[in-house]
Amino acid sequence: MSYFIDLVIVGLSIGMVYALVALGISLIYSGLDVVHFAHGEIYMLGAFIGLWIFKTFHLPFPLVLLGSMILTGLVGMFIERVFYRRILRGGGGYTVGGMAMVICGFGMSIVLQNVAFLIWGPRAVPFPVSYGMPVELGNITLPAAYVWIVAAALLLMAALHLFLKHTRLGLAVRAVAGNKEIAYLMGINVPMTISVIFGVACALGAAAGVLVGPINYVYVLMGLGILIKAFAAAVIGGFGSLPGAVLGGLLVGVIESLGAGYLSGSYKDIYAFILLIFVLMVRPAGLFGVLAKVKA
Amino acid sequence: MTTADAILTSADVVGGYGTVQILNGVTLKVARGQIVALLGGNGTGKSTMLKALSGLIKPWSGSIVFDGERIDGMRPDRIVRLGLVQVTQGKEAYPAMTVEENLLLGAHVITGRAARARGLERAYTYFPILKERRRQLSGTLSGGQLQMLCIGRGLMSEPKMMLLDEPSAALAPQVVLDIFRTIFRICRDGMTLLMVEQNVRMALLLAEYGYVIKDGVIHLEGPAEKMISDDAVRLSYLGGTVADRDAKMAL
Repeated sequence: MSYFIDLVIVGLSIGMVYALVALGISLIYSGLDVVHFAHGEIYMLGAFIGLWIFKTFHLPFPLVLLGSMILTGLVGMFIERVFYRRILRGGGGYTVGGMAMVICGFGMSIVLQNVAFLIWGPRAVPFPVSYGMPVELGNITLPAAYVWIVAAALLLMAALHLFLKHTRLGLAVRAVAGNKEIAYLMGINVPMTISVIFGVACALGAAAGVLVGPINYVYVLMGLGILIKAFAAAVIGGFGSLPGAVLGGLLVGVIESLGAGYLSGSYKDIYAFILLIFVLMVRPAGLFGVLAKVKA
Repeated sequence: MTTADAILTSADVVGGYGTVQILNGVTLKVARGQIVALLGGNGTGKSTMLKALSGLIKPWSGSIVFDGERIDGMRPDRIVRLGLVQVTQGKEAYPAMTVEENLLLGAHVITGRAARARGLERAYTYFPILKERRRQLSGTLSGGQLQMLCIGRGLMSEPKMMLLDEPSAALAPQVVLDIFRTIFRICRDGMTLLMVEQNVRMALLLAEYGYVIKDGVIHLEGPAEKMISDDAVRLSYLGGTVADRDAKMAL
């Protein structure tokens, strides 16, 4: 039984990481009707930037996390402003602009990988944060890293929720996600709001990268696997739905962990997709999705 | 009317979508504090004109001046900041947001917390039903309530002038009457209004001046009471547009 609970807890904490990346993908999708295929590289970039802050300034971990989120968010806004905006002027979704944006996302992911390769080299490097002593919960002993991941991710999700529900800018983000033309008529600066959406999504991706760093190595290709998992999580939850992205991420994490623990670790990457296929067979729109686009 | 007291003037506005020209030179004028009706049947260019005024499309040529500033080709959010706001049709409220969130969205250009709260109170004074429903998702409102929500939302940015896009669309006659009464109250309190309508009779009862648009140009214009009573030919022409609407509703 305690083995089972261990697996669930490990799964939940990895699931939180998937959920953060999936939240970013869903946020961009709900705002722009496009899938951002370079989001895995944003996650990688966030991890490297966090590592750089950690090694250069020797800041405590929460500040490293925050710093990486801000810097990576700014990088995301820069990428949106300079590269994506010209393409998206033609509209998102199933338009010519939307298709071009998908291709551009793939291109951006290759560019970012190579930029990271030039700066940080090909080696996987450890992220030597010391989280402190393992945490005791009844008769279960948890490595502190997992507690950190879950706590930080929950905090970020709560912050995102408060931002979207209770701030003027958050309301504008939801309006732009719902309908850009009407958002314009409300006096909302739509291009600027789209930049904000990108910045927030990239900051969440960076947070995932920094959180996972200490239990994993940081390396240039770390974004490949996470993109596919987070994408699966977003689809399972219902594409464009933010609660769905969180639930999908947790499900993927737990299923993967249980599968690896009880069946076989070498097929770890398959379980998420078995879950994906199953969910899509039963509920094609995903768990929280409606077939029309969900308006955040 | 002289140009001096005009808050909005458009001169020879030509425009359309892609390469399809819809507006073939629209010239109109709205005086400060006036209610003006822009009438016409389906596909005559009234909605396109509205989009040109609110900035959703950029005119190909011609000029639009609001409150002393050229606004043709300006981004819609900047036009709202100048004080010209388009009230959307009721169906264009955000269904997944609450009534109050929709209203606050209208106050996006207002940053002060107190001013936003004042705006809410003002909207609730005109439409008390919205206050009762303020925690409800706007997707659960009736058609009439949605239209009220959109008018209230338009008021939230404290505009100098509002553009109304068919406030009577798809509503029962009693509801239309209610809404027009409130629109009249809003104008009496100092609002300037340009209203696009297919419900010609109602619009002319409310408005002081009317324009009829046909094939993308102003076909006729005049004081509202003259338009509504005078000319049998005009009436039958205007009647035709009402029949269009009824036929559309019957479908």
